Amino acid sequence: MKFFHTLAAAAIAATALLAPQAQATTLKQIEANGVLKVGMLVDFPPFGTMSATGAPEGYDADTAKALAKYLGTKIQIVPVTGPNRIPYLLSGQVDVLVASLGITPARAERVDFSNPYAGIEIMVYGKKDEDVKDGAGLAGKTIGVVRASTQDAGVTKVAPASATIRRFDDDAAAVQALLSGQVPLIGVSNVIAAQINKAAPGRFDEKFSLSSQVQGVAVVPGSDALLAKINAFVADAMKDGTMDKISEQWLGTKVPDFVRTGTAKAALK
Amino acid sequence: MYHFNFTPVFDNFYLLLYGAWLTVRLSFVAMILGLVVSVLGAVARTSRYKILRGLVGAYVEIIRNTPFLIQIFFLFFGLPAVGIALNPNVAALVALVINVGAYGTEITRAGIESVPHGQVEAGRALGLEPVQIFRYVVLKPALRNVYPAMTSQFIYLMLTSSVVSTISANDLASAGADLNAKTFASFEIYLVITAMYLVLSLLFSGLFRLVQHTLFNYPASR
Repeated sequence: MKFFHTLAAAAIAATALLAPQAQATTLKQIEANGVLKVGMLVDFPPFGTMSATGAPEGYDADTAKALAKYLGTKIQIVPVTGPNRIPYLLSGQVDVLVASLGITPARAERVDFSNPYAGIEIMVYGKKDEDVKDGAGLAGKTIGVVRASTQDAGVTKVAPASATIRRFDDDAAAVQALLSGQVPLIGVSNVIAAQINKAAPGRFDEKFSLSSQVQGVAVVPGSDALLAKINAFVADAMKDGTMDKISEQWLGTKVPDFVRTGTAKAALK
Repeated sequence: MYHFNFTPVFDNFYLLLYGAWLTVRLSFVAMILGLVVSVLGAVARTSRYKILRGLVGAYVEIIRNTPFLIQIFFLFFGLPAVGIALNPNVAALVALVINVGAYGTEITRAGIESVPHGQVEAGRALGLEPVQIFRYVVLKPALRNVYPAMTSQFIYLMLTSSVVSTISANDLASAGADLNAKTFASFEIYLVITAMYLVLSLLFSGLFRLVQHTLFNYPASR
């Protein structure tokens, strides 16, 4: 048995040696190539999807295109998936990730993040005349959520025992319950909330935030010049309305304040 | 090899029992009300008034030819548009009664039509009132004739009631889904829930047999 253990250990060591070392991407290289290779999710609407003609589109795609324009390079979008996006970056197959990568401490150990260009917020959302400002305000109220979603966890945590939580199977049913008046409040993400607001303008508003996560552009650790340039791009794009335009197109609302004023540093605290 | 871990299921077993209790109550009340709807429907369907026959016929065909899921969505999400907002458990009950009533109407009608006309005439010859004739000479033998079909429809109703979890009613299936979301012990949970539905079905079957022995325990007429 011991022999096999040794063998297994050796195999693991060998794999580790073979694994490509993450090498910092320099801004100069990208500028010399004239092409920015961007890793992007294509299965995460409305942030990253494939259009009917097979071209990547969405919030991430437009942000990536604006970034390439800012750098003065062409763009090559490489479709990645949730699990393989960081390996794609670290193995040098893409220069940056604009892949809805939420800024978290665990990920920050592997990659460096720019300041947020997008964000997802989970909130309690409902009828305008409902006076609810925090978890305690849910007392005696009925609130719809999607079973087992982040919203479910968030609402369950803050709602007092007298609140009734109605669990539906998907966003469509929960939203339908709100629209049809079966529940006065639901827990949703800002993305869904924007869609509701489009379908029924002015009837509902945000009550309070349950949690939020911001998404940053990711680069290989140590790519400092590149990261500085990306941060400059994010700051500019936030200021000149580029991000608002992208956000309005894909999420139906301007960039929310928690994204605009957020920084990678604050998100990692 | 999969390692079963039933601890999360049995630690929260009271949740499943609570859900099962609603499933039992929903099904039981729906069966009773469904039977009433079925008998009324069957009487209307065999009446001499054409409009009545047409109306009940339309009800039966609409319900039997549309999915139960859509019917329940219509009641829960659709009706609030005209000011009728039913809470999920009530909407579930109404949907189940309407649904089983349509199938039951057809079953009961078949039963009524299976009663030979001579039997009705015999009742008249004995000097029974029309209401008495309907009750003892037509309806009781009719229900006795279709009893197996009716009870299997009722068992099916109990199993169908699992769909009501989609409108957030707190039945057994919904309790299972909630527990699954909390513990991720899917295989164990659905195994236990399947067993619970099986036990419920067997209990209802036992109840139906008891009713059969009490009500229909007399020699066959033919």
